[in-house]
Amino acid sequence: MHNNHTNEAYGFENKPLSKPRKHDRFPNLQLCLKGGLLTATTLTMGEAMAEYGLNFPEPAAGVAREIYGIHMMTMSIATILLVIVFAFVFYSLFYHRKSRGYEADQEFHNSWFGNWSWVIVPALVLGVDLTIAGKADTVLKSVWDVPKEENIMDVKITGHQWWWEFDYLDHDIKVESRFVPKDKSGDLYLREVDNRLVLPTGVKIRFLHTSADVLHAFWVPELAVKKDAIPGYVTETWAELDREGVFRGQCAEICGTWHSRMPIVVESVSPERFAAWTEGQKAIKVAAAAEASADKEWSMDDLLAKGKGLYETKCAACHQVNGMGLPPAFPALNGSAIATGPIADHLNIVIKGKEGTAMQPWGTLNDLEIAAIVTYERNSWDNKTGDVVQPADVKQAR
Amino acid sequence: MRIPDYQTLELRRKNLRLAWGLAGLALFFLVTSFPFWTGIFRIVGTQAVQ
Amino acid sequence: MSTTTLTHDEAHHHEAPKGWRRWLFSTNHKDIGTLYLLFALVMLFLGGASAMLIRLELFQPGIQLLDPDLYNNLVTNHALIMIFGGVMPAAAGLANWMIPMMIGAPDMALPRLNNLSFWILPAAATMLILSFVIPFFPGGGTQINTGWTIYPPLSLQVGMSMDFLIFAIHLLGISSVLASINIIVTLLNMRAPGMTLMKMPMFCWTWLVTAFLLILVIPVLAGGVTMLLFDRHFGTSFFDAAGGGDPVLFQHLFWFFGHPEVYILLLPSIGVLAHVIPAFARKPLFGYKSMVGAMLAVATIGMVVWAHHQYTVGMSLGAVTYFMIGTILISIPVGLMVFNFIATIWRGAMTFETPMLFAVGIVLMFTFGGLSGVMLAVVPADMQYHDSMFVVAHFHYVLMPGAVFGLFAGVFYWLPKWTGHMYDEKLGKLFFWTNVIGFNITFFPQHFLGLAGMPRRIVDYNMMFTEFNVVSSIGAMIFGLSHLLLLYIVIKTIRGGKKAESRAWEGAKGLEWELDSPPAFHTWTVAPQIK
Repeated sequence: MHNNHTNEAYGFENKPLSKPRKHDRFPNLQLCLKGGLLTATTLTMGEAMAEYGLNFPEPAAGVAREIYGIHMMTMSIATILLVIVFAFVFYSLFYHRKSRGYEADQEFHNSWFGNWSWVIVPALVLGVDLTIAGKADTVLKSVWDVPKEENIMDVKITGHQWWWEFDYLDHDIKVESRFVPKDKSGDLYLREVDNRLVLPTGVKIRFLHTSADVLHAFWVPELAVKKDAIPGYVTETWAELDREGVFRGQCAEICGTWHSRMPIVVESVSPERFAAWTEGQKAIKVAAAAEASADKEWSMDDLLAKGKGLYETKCAACHQVNGMGLPPAFPALNGSAIATGPIADHLNIVIKGKEGTAMQPWGTLNDLEIAAIVTYERNSWDNKTGDVVQPADVKQAR
Repeated sequence: MRIPDYQTLELRRKNLRLAWGLAGLALFFLVTSFPFWTGIFRIVGTQAVQ
Repeated sequence: MSTTTLTHDEAHHHEAPKGWRRWLFSTNHKDIGTLYLLFALVMLFLGGASAMLIRLELFQPGIQLLDPDLYNNLVTNHALIMIFGGVMPAAAGLANWMIPMMIGAPDMALPRLNNLSFWILPAAATMLILSFVIPFFPGGGTQINTGWTIYPPLSLQVGMSMDFLIFAIHLLGISSVLASINIIVTLLNMRAPGMTLMKMPMFCWTWLVTAFLLILVIPVLAGGVTMLLFDRHFGTSFFDAAGGGDPVLFQHLFWFFGHPEVYILLLPSIGVLAHVIPAFARKPLFGYKSMVGAMLAVATIGMVVWAHHQYTVGMSLGAVTYFMIGTILISIPVGLMVFNFIATIWRGAMTFETPMLFAVGIVLMFTFGGLSGVMLAVVPADMQYHDSMFVVAHFHYVLMPGAVFGLFAGVFYWLPKWTGHMYDEKLGKLFFWTNVIGFNITFFPQHFLGLAGMPRRIVDYNMMFTEFNVVSSIGAMIFGLSHLLLLYIVIKTIRGGKKAESRAWEGAKGLEWELDSPPAFHTWTVAPQIK
């Protein structure tokens, strides 16, 4: 089993570097209540907002800083315009009312101002627009155009229902990242994963986004870039991390039942630690491959133990831990015709998937992993086939 | 043709003409939203060239 | 215009027929208008109930009330019911009631088509409700967990409910297109002698533009969902990359409809404001011509900037730059509209009856929503905002004031005309304040949630988002329940109240106020002469 327990194995703290901000944000409740009532007028800019969790978290990459800058600029312009509009309206509401005996000016629209405002107002708005568009255009170019450099690091991000797959194309490492249930993740529930996306600082990284099934979107606010993962498409974004830390995000494009359970955790580390991490990953992978390909006969108990862990991370999101599935989209395995019928059919559907359904091919798992999962499925819950499927059987079935 | 009692025959004809014209416009937008037409035109076009 | 009678088979029904036939077979614009408004009211409560369930689920982290699929189905239904069942029929109801009375026409140009375009709606609503109900029965397939955008490939995974939804969208579309044809024909052919286009009341202008937009974009949506249906059942792969199709194509088709749809929802309410604000400021609308021009500009630019809803699909730099600049430029005509409204109240002699309270609220809150729209238009910043709660906050700030509050203003403004009774002003004001305060408590905190990193359409969230969600949900309960007050006021006004004069409001101008309150069953059988 490559890529499990990566963080513990290589000496990284598994503790979150940034805690969820819940407790810092309680004093803010009153402020936000007031803000809600008075609409935008109580907005305060800059640092104070970041501190209170009213604004984006502090960016951790160059592109994110530029995006943060333009966000602050447009928000400031919007706030100023809003204040101006509110000032005029409230002045008018107070002074130009019948109860104060104010006589309506019936010729106001025929005045010089009335005749030319249709030119003046658009010209002023155009000026504001050009200010925004000019800055936006500059930022857009640097965000959109991925630098064409030889040594850019490629990470392919594949969205699945409902987990993320990160392929480090330059290092031949694959990381599967899944949400961690509440009993294990505690306060970080829905913001914590089993395997993090470990990235080095100071290196330009190109993210290649794609999807295996439906639309997903990779979003970590500290990195700022968000792109849809579209089956059949590869879209790209880039970032260069400039500080270390743990940054959390979530899938942003609705992707079905468990859209809420696709957290992303980026662990930004120094290049040295990243190098150590990649070495560790490779060692794990080699060991796992050696274990799987050894012509060893596995006992049923060993396969069941391995299979239980694998089933619960890879299969249980759809088929459920109790094997009952979520019919009709995700059928039960408990007592199913596949899981209690011929072994060949069972292996076939696991390796090749089933077209037209949510069942994807799992052929990228190694022989041992598939053997363990199939053995587990055939001997759990009410399924008592007694079949022991060996890695060699899987090899044959491929 | 049944005519509402507040419309003259002339007005009724004018109304119907405009209504069918607008319906035609809607139909045009419906039909052109299907991308396979562009494919068919391309096929027809390349065959015509040959 | 002569009123020569050419056929006599319906021989001079000058009084309303009695019983259910009056409504089912109605060709009278006032009755059909009433039907539209009642339908919209029912849908408002259905859509509102789904919104309140959504907010109840989000009141606390964890999954308490709703399965994820049921939650997402409610999100889908809330949008579809409010847009297609609530706002559009309500605006069509106002159009049916007011347009003939405003332009001095005896009725709509195509009265039987009018009947058809209304009666398709209950059928469509039934289909929509069936799509929600069917998954509860064995063999009913899965729930529609896609959101109202029904993007493939996710919408290809959904069970038979999606087919019901597709047919419901077809029916709703047909209804809207027929109603739009009728409105355009009425406005172009049925105006009283002397009423040139540039003398037409602003509400009529807004509906003329809206109707054209509907005719141009609804068929594109119909085409898109038809292809979805083919992909689901006939293996056509329009949107399936594995079969040579393109999932992003659906998004383009959807938003080619979806973005003009925003203006379809907005413009009729802008038209209402252009009547309400001058009436209560007691001075003419500032900039009639620039209003018309701005509206045409909004409609035109609005047709060609759809892809700003999908900046993150990976378009080229050139394409996103174009869509960004186009979108930012929309602020010019919209800004001019808002400016004209402010200039109308400027140096007026204002009083603050309920319609005017809503009008002022709209000017302030719509400006706020519009400005956050400019922030969203900026592509690099949108890469952060996209699909977060910030977007949810933004479009509710645009659509609630921009569309729904405008309809409320119109209903309160014209209720005396329709029913012949003044509504209870104290209750009206109470409704305004609970409604607007509830609205702001609900949606203002959602900006912060979005910036902090909460995506939209999630059933469960991390505890770091708790406080603002609690506030938002409390606001939503106030906001949702306040509509019961609206229902009570409307029923009370229909049943009785102070007798309304022909000109129910001191500053009200326009042909509709020349008629009795309530108006006779047939009005303007002899066309008025416009100076």
